[in-house]
Amino acid sequence: MIALSDYLILGGLLFAIAVAGIFLNRKNLILLLMCVELMLLAVNMNFVAFSHFLGDMTGQVFVFFILTVAAAEAAIGLAILVVLFRNRRTINVEDLDALKG
Amino acid sequence: MSFDAANLLPILPEIAILITASLVLILDLYLKDQDKGLNHSITLIGLVIAIGLTGAVGGGDAQVFFDGNLIRDPMSDLLKGAILIVSVLTFIYARPWLQDRGMLVGEFYVLGLLAVLGMLIMVSANGFLTLYLGLELQALALYALVAFDRDSSTGAEAAMKYFVLGALGSGLLLYGVSMIYGATGSIEFAPVAAAVAEQGISNKVLVFGIAFLVIGIGFKFGAVPFHMWVPDVYEGGPTPAVLILSSAPKIAAFALAVRMLVDGLHTLHPDWQGMLVILAVLSMGLGNLVAIAQSNIKRMLAYSTISHVGFIFLGLLAGSEQGFAAAMFYTIVYAVMSVGAFGILLILSRQGFDAERLEDLKGLNDRDAWYAAMMALIMFSMAGVPPTVGFMAKLLVLEAVVRIDMLWLALVAVFFSIIGAFYYLRVIKFIYFDKPADDAPALLTSSGVRFAMSLNGLALLALGLFPAALLSVCQAAF
Amino acid sequence: MAEKLIFYILAVITLWASVMVITRKNPVHSVLFLVLAFVTSAGLWVLLEAEFLGIVLILVYVGAVMVLFLFVVMMLDIDLATIRAGFVQNLPLAGLIAAIMAVEILLIVGPGNFGLDAFPKPEPLGAEVSNTRELGLLLYSVYIYPVEIAAVILLLAIVAAIRLTLRRRPDTKFIDPAQQVRVRKGPDRVRLVKMAAEDVAPVVDKGDAQ
Repeated sequence: MIALSDYLILGGLLFAIAVAGIFLNRKNLILLLMCVELMLLAVNMNFVAFSHFLGDMTGQVFVFFILTVAAAEAAIGLAILVVLFRNRRTINVEDLDALKG
Repeated sequence: MSFDAANLLPILPEIAILITASLVLILDLYLKDQDKGLNHSITLIGLVIAIGLTGAVGGGDAQVFFDGNLIRDPMSDLLKGAILIVSVLTFIYARPWLQDRGMLVGEFYVLGLLAVLGMLIMVSANGFLTLYLGLELQALALYALVAFDRDSSTGAEAAMKYFVLGALGSGLLLYGVSMIYGATGSIEFAPVAAAVAEQGISNKVLVFGIAFLVIGIGFKFGAVPFHMWVPDVYEGGPTPAVLILSSAPKIAAFALAVRMLVDGLHTLHPDWQGMLVILAVLSMGLGNLVAIAQSNIKRMLAYSTISHVGFIFLGLLAGSEQGFAAAMFYTIVYAVMSVGAFGILLILSRQGFDAERLEDLKGLNDRDAWYAAMMALIMFSMAGVPPTVGFMAKLLVLEAVVRIDMLWLALVAVFFSIIGAFYYLRVIKFIYFDKPADDAPALLTSSGVRFAMSLNGLALLALGLFPAALLSVCQAAF
Repeated sequence: MAEKLIFYILAVITLWASVMVITRKNPVHSVLFLVLAFVTSAGLWVLLEAEFLGIVLILVYVGAVMVLFLFVVMMLDIDLATIRAGFVQNLPLAGLIAAIMAVEILLIVGPGNFGLDAFPKPEPLGAEVSNTRELGLLLYSVYIYPVEIAAVILLLAIVAAIRLTLRRRPDTKFIDPAQQVRVRKGPDRVRLVKMAAEDVAPVVDKGDAQ
């Protein structure tokens, strides 16, 4: 039988891949946004799995809201990306050096 | 399961803010360019009504509404009031800057009001779900505000940095929440607390979840080592947006930390205390040391924020009621100081000129003695010089730390705040002992801005002389 | 047994797709692999009896959000060479951090804490239980307050995205159908101008005359 731990391990691996992606693609903003999406997918996987094995719908409700917020977040993130690209003609983080940090 | 209209009573302030935002959004379509000031007036009226409603529905013992999603307690009353009052000040200071740059449009007020709404939702959340939604509402509005000046490439760059790190922080926070949900089977604070008390510290899953929660809190507060976004956002964002995000959201972040760590996971205090100690020491150290080297005053204030966050964490990690009250006092005082400091920067700005370098403060005393005095009060308060309230706030936090026998931590805090006093006093030197630049015109401000700034500066002095009123309210909240 | 097989196939595809997302050179490929990861995850969620969320993930997330991503990736003219710079240097650090993180997570969420002994497999729900109905009942009773907040968040997203990206360009030429329809028959369409007849000398083409 498939145990809860199997799903959680899958979620954990997805999460680790997302973190690795953030470190790998520090130069590429659009990929950073995708890594955040991947991270949220890992979180959702956890919630759905817990919800199923606890026999409690709350986890699914939480996932419903995370999906809603993530959609809004993607819209605003991409809007900021477009503004940035219009101003700088680049989404390469290395070229973004107007600010020091 | 029928809906009880009494549920709507405690969220009357939120409803008022939402109605105001919608009204501004619709009205803005029909306003001519010269009438855009009406947006400003409606926003202020809405905020004042919300303050009144907060007072009207507040008071009394904690009550839970909306099937456990919302709580109304003394802490939420006080923090809501503080957020709304600070927001009134921010909108008053921001108006001349926006008008000079042709950005006095409805969207600024809508986004600002929705950010305030998000903070109000956060402080009265009684579960991880409501807390998360409030946090995201506030954060999404702030990302958009930082990018508000569409033609500024530094603004867009700052917004992008803020966005990526903010989203990362939310992701980590959510991973922690999912672990807590898995271990306790609930996302409401009271059942979580009950389950945690039952399972005890033996449950490694809970500790693992808390680690992610603390990292998320660190990101939202901007504590070292999760502070990378703070200096860049402060420097790159338009000053009114920085004014908004440097003040009231800190109060909301405090609520975020207290609701999760104290309401939900107080039993695990020994676990999160250690994590907060590290964050606090690093924040105070790095914040104060790096601030000295800054020549851009917005950047300097960013590092000063980081160091103040360290002090707020000191109160939280004490884990005692006195510690929480001290941290709450510190947070509210910090928000008032921060709004004043950025308010002065906005007053110094004029059409086509942004006050950003430390030199821009030179000879402020010769240009306008009253504003110079207010800025001096704010700087003294940030440095923690008596009799201003900043001293009282630091003292209370240190007392809480000493009470739990962490004398070394208190000594570290005192050491770093003495170092920190240097750069605040350097600002005062610029104001009083340097000559103004030749091309600096006299400061022209409306009577409303002057009144608000006077209130803001004098409040720091008055609270320092008579801290008992605010302090007793803070203590009553825990 | 069939369930086990489906789980492992879907899980392996999800992990492979997400590794591809972070390692592809071309951002368009990354988005497409992300879509694949979402679709297989939706399959896993259906396996977990969260049918509604599985469908929402495909309809809303893949159908709208990922298409938005594709749109932006294709709209922005991205220089592939520069954004790949530093990828190889970052690889050891990223791999190390991800590996440490994965090991830590595995230790915590492994069979020790969340095995079948601690959380036995729940009985499968009968065909009469509707996941959508259950979720809807909860959303519109217990979680009505969060639903309202989510509505405000969506409003905020609309306002923010429009403010940030909509620009009115004075030089853009466009046709307003409302104006076209409103044209009146008489004077707006054809204007008859009375002109005095002019005496114009006939043009003589020299080529013809020859």
